Amino acid sequence: MDLWFVISNAIVLACVYGTLAIGVSITWSSLGLLNLAYGFIFALAGYGAWVVSEYFSDWGPVLLATGILTGALGGIAVCALAFIPTHDKPNFAIRGLIATLAISLLGTQGLLWWFGPRAKTLPGIFGDWKISLSGMVLTADKVGNVLTSILMLVAVLRWMQSSRRGLEIRAMMMNPHAASIVGIGVRRTSFYVMAITGSMAGLAAVLLSQTYYISPFGGLTPMIKGVSIALCGGLGSVRGAVIAAMVLGLNESLTTVTIGGRYVLITQFVFIIAILLVRPRGIAGILDKAREA
Amino acid sequence: MNFISLVGPEAGRKPTAKREVLNVRGLSAGYGPMRVIHDLDLVVEAGARIGIVGLNGHGKSTLFYGIAGLTGWQRGSIKLNGVEVGRTRSQGPGRYTHEIVRAGLALIPQGDEIFYGLTVEEHLDSGAFTARAWRERAERKQRILKIFPPLKKLMDVPVGRLSGGERRMVSIGRGLMGDAALYLVDEPSLGLAPKIGKSVIEALMSVELGESAMIIAEQNVAVLEGRVDRIIGMHAGQLKGEASAALAFHDHGRG
Repeated sequence: MDLWFVISNAIVLACVYGTLAIGVSITWSSLGLLNLAYGFIFALAGYGAWVVSEYFSDWGPVLLATGILTGALGGIAVCALAFIPTHDKPNFAIRGLIATLAISLLGTQGLLWWFGPRAKTLPGIFGDWKISLSGMVLTADKVGNVLTSILMLVAVLRWMQSSRRGLEIRAMMMNPHAASIVGIGVRRTSFYVMAITGSMAGLAAVLLSQTYYISPFGGLTPMIKGVSIALCGGLGSVRGAVIAAMVLGLNESLTTVTIGGRYVLITQFVFIIAILLVRPRGIAGILDKAREA
Repeated sequence: MNFISLVGPEAGRKPTAKREVLNVRGLSAGYGPMRVIHDLDLVVEAGARIGIVGLNGHGKSTLFYGIAGLTGWQRGSIKLNGVEVGRTRSQGPGRYTHEIVRAGLALIPQGDEIFYGLTVEEHLDSGAFTARAWRERAERKQRILKIFPPLKKLMDVPVGRLSGGERRMVSIGRGLMGDAALYLVDEPSLGLAPKIGKSVIEALMSVELGESAMIIAEQNVAVLEGRVDRIIGMHAGQLKGEASAALAFHDHGRG
């Protein structure tokens, strides 16, 4: 029973953090931008869903859609404010970092000012049922979290594999210089990238709101976890991010059960440092040739 | 100012329309404090196949990158098919390149700037940038396969696993997928075994130019000798006009 609890928690966390990590990873490898406003987009999407649940409808799919949409809009805004003005200037990496950090600080303070410091809760999205499978109890939100995030990931990856824009994004991830030579416009593609990754953050926000509260600074920890999972998996590698998310999700739920939830970040970073000592470019850093900083 | 045009001994022999595909006036370009191209003029007319030869480091690639807007900075006028694509620019390399590509430029860069993880087929697709090229990409790929038959078996293989010669074919094939008015081919035989390099040049010569034009940069004059309409020398960031005209075409006839 205990073991199943740990494993099912690990899978749920892996799905949610994996979604975030893949968003960070795609942004980094295609645009060269480490998006520090990702936590803000996350919180913004949570509040977007909360506003809709409060004033319009609290039907699950509507909330998920609102979260995804708000996240995408947040991503587009960050792109227009931080990426477009800086991307062709010298020292873009630092400028982009500072610009997204500024947006994150301003935005979270804005959320605090507008919505107040009290944390919000979203109504249950996936209902209230349970499945018992030979001693393992699966609650609705666990099953829903896993299925929804896998669905989202599969949809995003399929889109990137099969569509023309996806081809452009993948080309930019592999060789930004050659991408401009074949006529791929960085600016236009960046909006697609940021909208997609923003919507992934939005989905993760709504899913995580089933376990945690929505608060102005609630995006910080998920972002740190997303960035560290992306680093650990090898920036730019989707496969690596999935593996790292599973490993770190397992670590998180094991730590929570054995020594307590407040030690999660400590064990997580010890773990990540250990992995990066052995494989400096992350788990899949050698499998995929990713952008190097 | 050195003004180069096709009005010369060949002009009478080659009765094509005198539409200018490329007209470069006073182009200077470089990287940071370094100035590589000095006040360069170049006119290329439709249907022309031109060779630019010069030693390493004399600005052949920078000239191509300057036309594509990929140098660190540049100034001067560049008209591609009558459309002004040059601008005075001190930063933002590559920011306008996609617009220039859409205006009809196909740059086939030195060292095969390829996407390691994409398959050969996706690679060719990525070259089909205009809406029309994208719609017709299936038949265009067939056309490329006719030029480079060895790629037929490799369509699903990631480009990172190909040999140097195969990569060069993919890189050139990618450039040929669009509706370019001007093909800039940078050192097509560089780093290839002589036999493979020769077949790559052969393939470039077999491309029907029609209303478009092609400029090939090479260090190895011998591979271009007698097969292009004109050879221009490049030295220290400037074109050295007729100096090598005797090498081109005259006593050889065209293949």
